[in-house]
Amino acid sequence: MMLTTKNLTKTVNSQEHDLTILSQVSLTINEQDTVAIVGASGSGKSTLLSLLAGLDVPTSGQVMLAGKPLHELNEDQRALVRAQYVGFVFQSFHLLPGLSALENVMLPIELKEQKNPEQQARQLLEQVGLLERLHHYPNQLSGGEQQRVAIARAFASEPKILFADEPTGNLDTANGEKIIDLIFELNQQLGTTLVLVTHDDRLASRCQRVVRLEAGELVDDTAQEKAVQEPHLESAAGHS
Amino acid sequence: MMSISHAKGSGTSGLAWRIFRRDWRSGEVKILFFALMIAVTAMVAIGVITDRIHRAMGEQSSEFLGADYTFSSPRPIEQSWVEQGRSNGIEITETLGFSTVLSKGDKFQLVNVRAISGKFPLKGELEIADKPFTSGMKIQGSPELGSVWVEPRVLSLLGAKVGDKVDFGISQLTIAGVIVSGPGQASEVFNVAPRVTLNKQDVEAANIIQPGSRVSYGLFIAGELEAREQYIAWLKERKNTTQRITGGKEGTPALQASIERAETFLRLASLVSVVLAGVAIAVAAGRFSRRHYDYAAIYRCLGMQIAQVHRLYFTQLSIIGLIGSALGVALGLAIQQIIIMQFADYLPKPMVPIDWVPVLVGALSGLVVLIGFALPAFFQIARVSPLRVLRKELVPQPLSSWLIYIFAIVAMALLMWWQSGDFKLVGILLGVALLAYGLIRLIAWLIFKLGVWLGKRASTPIRYGLGQLKRYPAFTISQITAFGLAFIIMLSTVLIRSELLDEWQNQLPEGAPNHFLVNVQPQEVELLENILAEQSVQTAGIYPMVRGRVVGVNDQTLQEALDERALTDGAVRRELNLTWMTDVPKANQVTQGEWWVGDALSQDETKTNQLSIDEKLAERLGLKIGDKLLFSIGGIEVAGEISNFRSIQWDSFQPNFFIIFQPGALDAQSATYITSFHLQQAQKPTLNTILQQMPTVTIIELDAIMAQVQTILEQVTRAIEFIMLFVLLAGIAVLYAVLQSNRDERVLSATLLKTLGAQTKFIRTSLVAELALLGLFSGILGAIGGEVLVSALYKNALKIEPVLHPWVWIIVPLIGVVFISLVGWWGLRGLLKQPAHQVLRQM
Repeated sequence: MMLTTKNLTKTVNSQEHDLTILSQVSLTINEQDTVAIVGASGSGKSTLLSLLAGLDVPTSGQVMLAGKPLHELNEDQRALVRAQYVGFVFQSFHLLPGLSALENVMLPIELKEQKNPEQQARQLLEQVGLLERLHHYPNQLSGGEQQRVAIARAFASEPKILFADEPTGNLDTANGEKIIDLIFELNQQLGTTLVLVTHDDRLASRCQRVVRLEAGELVDDTAQEKAVQEPHLESAAGHS
Repeated sequence: MMSISHAKGSGTSGLAWRIFRRDWRSGEVKILFFALMIAVTAMVAIGVITDRIHRAMGEQSSEFLGADYTFSSPRPIEQSWVEQGRSNGIEITETLGFSTVLSKGDKFQLVNVRAISGKFPLKGELEIADKPFTSGMKIQGSPELGSVWVEPRVLSLLGAKVGDKVDFGISQLTIAGVIVSGPGQASEVFNVAPRVTLNKQDVEAANIIQPGSRVSYGLFIAGELEAREQYIAWLKERKNTTQRITGGKEGTPALQASIERAETFLRLASLVSVVLAGVAIAVAAGRFSRRHYDYAAIYRCLGMQIAQVHRLYFTQLSIIGLIGSALGVALGLAIQQIIIMQFADYLPKPMVPIDWVPVLVGALSGLVVLIGFALPAFFQIARVSPLRVLRKELVPQPLSSWLIYIFAIVAMALLMWWQSGDFKLVGILLGVALLAYGLIRLIAWLIFKLGVWLGKRASTPIRYGLGQLKRYPAFTISQITAFGLAFIIMLSTVLIRSELLDEWQNQLPEGAPNHFLVNVQPQEVELLENILAEQSVQTAGIYPMVRGRVVGVNDQTLQEALDERALTDGAVRRELNLTWMTDVPKANQVTQGEWWVGDALSQDETKTNQLSIDEKLAERLGLKIGDKLLFSIGGIEVAGEISNFRSIQWDSFQPNFFIIFQPGALDAQSATYITSFHLQQAQKPTLNTILQQMPTVTIIELDAIMAQVQTILEQVTRAIEFIMLFVLLAGIAVLYAVLQSNRDERVLSATLLKTLGAQTKFIRTSLVAELALLGLFSGILGAIGGEVLVSALYKNALKIEPVLHPWVWIIVPLIGVVFISLVGWWGLRGLLKQPAHQVLRQM
């Protein structure tokens, strides 16, 4: 098991009363699963993602990621778990503007003190079709290109599990398609577990499982036998 | 449990360096970097210049004295003391001083002899001419055996000329030259007998000193700073109370006040440049850290630990600190060298070398400022939650604001104290800072009131602009603080500078008296007035002078009436110059009691004569208004009652008196007269006319010394002007940094307005209204704070009477409005022309 939660609850203190954002969520995600978390705005999707990835701590309940009890760890210990097991792709890309595309991808490799960070980063950027753009800075790249750099960076640390928060949310349909293809292709190639939060039905339909939240509660957890798995490598590697 | 190894120092510093380079290119760290560089440059340049000019002035003061120090003793000085000095590399010239009579034929003249062996003077030069009142040769040395140098009037008194022989004890000396100028002249104004200088060996040959003769034994002392200070300390431990050590500055009372004020100003300027740099750094660091919250959240997301993020940013801070300080030191040294070269003509040659202490202090202060003002902001960066990648509104829990303030204030106070060594100045500055803080709160409150008022009246764009200020009170207050502080400091510097210069101009105006005439006989006064009138020479008044000694207080003897300390005061141990006057003399002010009206009723035995006394002397002797003093004047006792205290400007180059009687009180005494006047070089022959017609008059020429005083004041003035310029530049840097730091927010809100369909005119009006209001409020703060700071400094540090400057109340807010709205608008103008989506993408 890659990831399990038990009675995961998150409440925040508002002025008058405590507000429950997530209530008693229990789920299990196996290695190499692809899971989409869906739901309306404010249903608690992003909160669940942040708890699963150890970016935040639950008010009560447990999260075990790769056997590590995230709910018991402090900030720095969770950071270690993230460095070791987790990759991220965000809606707003979150590239470091101070670093070139290549440097952005090298960063997690360097943090893990692996060998030849530059070579590995080049390979990944080549895979996402950005060999020509190695030395461009984020503000010199289009949205689609930035997200491809972010994907290359997410896979650079060879994560066991990849969390994606609305990865297509800031992109047009064509670019969104390419990004989806790219994520699933790399995911399959590297045997990564994938957990993504999305509004995008096309994206959700590509996952093996869809977990639906409503008002902070898990209301549906469906395995999708017909998940569209086939990669569209040619188009993903093309120029956007 | 965790097995992976993590990026250690090397990885982080490589990353830090890369990020620094990129941030540099994008302008992120430039403001921080330049603020630091300006701070270090200012501190190094000001520190080194102040130090060098200070030491150079010490050298020049030594020229007035003729040595770094003099030592005088009524008994022969232990030869071992002299040996002690010489063996430590100190230059020592031994002198003898005594009064004797020179004669030529049937003419006799009492003279003050200075007998020298060896080099004289040790500092500065003697100017010896072969005719009176002409320029001569500048020399260091002693007269040859058998020869004597004399003051000009000796020639007319003895009817001699250079080359003639005069009798000196049982031997004869040849007059080898006339002393034009030399050390000690300024303090010899009241010596009645003219000065002659001769070789010490001739004294023994003349067999002129007999047991019981009053002889003063002296040492002129000069040497390297450290060695001579050690030696002086050594002497101080051994000397008895009759022996006196005089240092360089004490040799130039006329300059002391001016130099001290100038030094205070320079110290102040370097302090305020530290404050300004601190503000600029704090503002720039705040912006830097806010912009880096996102990046830190990403690092944390990617698995960096808090300590690693700290290390990343502290490495960056160190890079900024080291490079910024190094460049600041280099630039500061270059600038001070340029300034020193500008002054080359006025400064002693060779110029004193750079002392590395102020350089080091400057460089280290830069780092202290950086740490004190940037560290709190930098420390925040790593505390950001990684969750910020999903929820952008998350900012790190602010550190306790008191903690930051205390940290910054302590850092600042320590730094200021280190830089200035002056507790009082630091106290005043911190006091004004606290007051400014109170004012800022008040102004913030005013903004809300004004907002409500304007809300009902102003046009929409102006209301919107004001709304921006109201919406983010903390932000608004921090901007007003920074702008206001910059205005306070710039304003104070300008005000103090111009008032110091005015003060000096008043002290030594064009045509200030540069010659004194002493020992004018009563029957000669009219003649003198005629001679001076013929040459159109204006005097500062001709005053009678009687020499007398204080012998009693309130019908008691001095021993009974005064305490032990007062009894050792010079004023009760020697004869004082007494005078009488109808009106308060120029350069004097009655500080307590009343000046008299009319003459004393000398016939009315029941009335006591009134007198006026220097307030400092009264304080030293513990005298009050109404106390009665008894004087012995030429063996006759005269009583007087103190009716007022005066403050006296001793450096005014006017005849000044400790004690002034009511007219009529001293009528029974035989007086001589004293006057001072200004002579130009071309009018110098007038002195010959005077001496021919009244040979017993003493002429004291101060024109050479006054020219030197002028020169010193001029060079200090230039230093002050330059340093003021520097402070102004630093102030503008702060204003710019603050405007830059809020640029993003302004661009964003303006762009949003644009996307909502606002016209450029609307955006411009609201932005300018916002900026102008900021300028107005900080200008008001600047004017109030500046006035308070300047008054406090005048009263406590500079000893100048505080005055208000009404024009400042209009001008400074006006400058605030114009400068901040213009520069602020200018910086945003280009961005607002770009399409909205492009701007939003760059944010």
